[in-house]
Amino acid sequence: MMKSVPPAKTDVSRSRWRDQVGDLFERWSFLMPSILVLTVMLAYPIFYTIEISFASFDIATFGAGEWIGWANYEEVIGDYRFWDSLQVTLIYLVIALPLQVTLGFGIAFLINAEWWGRSALRALFIIPMVVAPVVAGGMWRMILDPLWGIMNYWMGLAGISSLDWFGDPKLAMAAIIIIDTWRWTPFIVLIATAALLALPKDVFEAAKIDGANWWSTLWSVAVPLLVPIIAATFVIRWLGAVKMFDIVLAATYGGPGKATNIINLFIYEEAFRSLRFAESAAMAVIVLVLTMVLTGIFLRGSRKLEELF
Amino acid sequence: MSARAPAVSYDARNTLGHRLRILAGIFVSIVFLFPIYWMVLTSFKQQVDIFTNPPTFFFEPTLATYKEYMRRADIVRRIVNTIIVAAGSGLLSIVVGTMAGYALARIRLRGAGTIGLIILLSRGVPPIALAVPMFLVARKLGLTDKHITLILAYSTFLIPYVMWLMRGFFLALPKELEESAMIDGCSRYGAFFKIILPISLPGLLSTLIFSMILAWEELLFALVLTNRYASTIPVAIAGIAGDTVNGANWGALTAVGTITVVPVVIFALLVQKWLIKGLADGATKG
Repeated sequence: MMKSVPPAKTDVSRSRWRDQVGDLFERWSFLMPSILVLTVMLAYPIFYTIEISFASFDIATFGAGEWIGWANYEEVIGDYRFWDSLQVTLIYLVIALPLQVTLGFGIAFLINAEWWGRSALRALFIIPMVVAPVVAGGMWRMILDPLWGIMNYWMGLAGISSLDWFGDPKLAMAAIIIIDTWRWTPFIVLIATAALLALPKDVFEAAKIDGANWWSTLWSVAVPLLVPIIAATFVIRWLGAVKMFDIVLAATYGGPGKATNIINLFIYEEAFRSLRFAESAAMAVIVLVLTMVLTGIFLRGSRKLEELF
Repeated sequence: MSARAPAVSYDARNTLGHRLRILAGIFVSIVFLFPIYWMVLTSFKQQVDIFTNPPTFFFEPTLATYKEYMRRADIVRRIVNTIIVAAGSGLLSIVVGTMAGYALARIRLRGAGTIGLIILLSRGVPPIALAVPMFLVARKLGLTDKHITLILAYSTFLIPYVMWLMRGFFLALPKELEESAMIDGCSRYGAFFKIILPISLPGLLSTLIFSMILAWEELLFALVLTNRYASTIPVAIAGIAGDTVNGANWGALTAVGTITVVPVVIFALLVQKWLIKGLADGATKG
């Protein structure tokens, strides 16, 4: 904008300075709105959480009371329920993430077989991805219902005795992982499809000419080419999975007992049901730090993998 | 994307393996779609047809559940709220996030890389760490149960999302585009609005739609920041699903679930080509 004004009669150095400032201003103005909104709505709440986590919670003012140092953290770390919930979250993540990434790439391979219905299949496959997670949780709760659910009916037809999906701790966790996998695998299928389509064709031709069989082609040609994408997909899915809340809330509400009480649900309950805001804030800070550290490690790991292959 | 043949299926078209692969693909698709079909089907059942063993596939469809529940649970107002919040936060985030994505992809800024990394990392912030302070501050300022609060809250995850997708999109565009425009006397804003945005329209649109879908589905912030006036549909569904006192109200659950899902599915299918391309590009080129 300012560049187009000819610096005809003004002092040359001064106008250049103004040009530079104007230019700098213009450059940053693209980024400013985001920084502004995110400072107010993201950075400030995080700092406020940290503040509360070091204070006693004052119910009268509904805000941070006096500074009590690490007391909240000590209490939280001494609370076995917090550790139980972290453990539940860990089990969910360790099973669900590899399962979903593997299934996603496998299914992408299947639905991208060349035939006239391919684009229809691909389109249909995005449908589960846009089902609200809370709806997914509720809907699957009906499907897996021990008495009236269609899943147990079918399993009965196959000769498997009916399972009490939401009564048994292990089965409840399995149910949560099934629902989550149903909801999120299509998203990975989508990314995997793009990755498969982008594979260079000639490499496969060459492998075929060299007499490589199907398995060795997959294992020594396709997989190494896909590793960076698989790693990136893993990181993207991880960023979503640490937010797991809706499905558990709708399907099991953490039960039976505390068997599926994922950390986000536990903190939510502690804050908004038990009104223990200071302790919840301390837990939130711990989870935040854990997530950030792990995300950083995964990002770095996926970069490393990219360099290796 | 569909023009290129996938490299993996170089094997002969009509081998047994190829046929099996197609069949397996169809089977998997049916497995993934069945739960939705079952939900929609159940929503048109009468109570007596829902609780049967074996489950009924053929019955006389009725709108009874819809009519009853629409009236009882304030569903219409919730739908309006959800639309306002989804559209508001989607539009805000697309404007703000696209500009930031462009800045990170194309403009030389000292420290911008760090800011970009921080914003990327912020995608890993657990929403519960924001929900607690947002609730306390909103309560103090008298901002609970207002659309604007929810719109701003949703922008915390939508802006980074849009930014990242659009950054990938802009990086893929040839640099000469705006360089030549700026040599021709366009300002940076002129180049951005007249050259860059028009060619990015497909990516922009798919990102906008996906942002709106994310906002449409959001539960935690809506649960925490609203109670009556600005409450959304996901909150209602959570309420029905969590209602252990009256037992499983599957009619209501499936009816409201269908109302939530069907518009989004239609929308997603209408723009699926752009959606797939935009998402896949954003994910692979990011």
